[in-house]
Amino acid sequence: MVADESRKRLVQLSYDRIDIPAAYQFLQTPGAGGVAVFVGTARQWTGERETLSLTYESYEPMAFKEMHRLIDTADGKWPIQRVCLLHKLGEVHPAEASVLVGVATAHRAEAFVACRFLIDQLKAQVPIWKQERLTDGQKVWVEGNYPSKSPNS
Amino acid sequence: MLSFKVQLFSVLKSKLKADSIDLETPEGISVSEFLDLACVQYPTMEPYRRVMRLAVNQTYSEDAHILQDGDEVAIITPVSGG
Repeated sequence: MVADESRKRLVQLSYDRIDIPAAYQFLQTPGAGGVAVFVGTARQWTGERETLSLTYESYEPMAFKEMHRLIDTADGKWPIQRVCLLHKLGEVHPAEASVLVGVATAHRAEAFVACRFLIDQLKAQVPIWKQERLTDGQKVWVEGNYPSKSPNS
Repeated sequence: MLSFKVQLFSVLKSKLKADSIDLETPEGISVSEFLDLACVQYPTMEPYRRVMRLAVNQTYSEDAHILQDGDEVAIITPVSGG
């Protein structure tokens, strides 16, 4: 994994499996007293509907810029020491990780809130879409919610 | 006239069976006018008009923003990453 020059943030869109131990290693820093890590995984059952796999596609250059922009916003709100935002593209099977958000701060409260902010904003703003492959052979694009707030809020 | 190659993703790419469309527009067109025109020329997209956003040079744009020759444009339907 390659960090940017500041060594503070790690942003990736990759067809490879998310390397969770490597992400955690990146987040470790002596100044932090708390590291919050959220891992989003592919869910097999949604009510009665069974998902065989999810396939993610992205408008990659813009997604990458949006992920950095969200980190810039979070960085202005909370004293973040390390942050990573990783999203897998291509096929993801049930129980596998599709997204990882990690934040290291001096105290846990900021780590939790910044982590929650980043995953919620990623799901609303970053141009990535998933298609579900169902047991009946259908492939269905999952439509997200149209964001009610302006993209810069 | 200006001509744009408009990138498509997700459901629009599937519905139109294309990852981009060509659109000719008058000069000085705004983002909302651009999306309206795209739906007139490609009526398959019309049901999605209400939830479309236009990315201009890889950034979400306001409805009143005026497009320039050479802008990179992409139609963004509600995203579902995560």
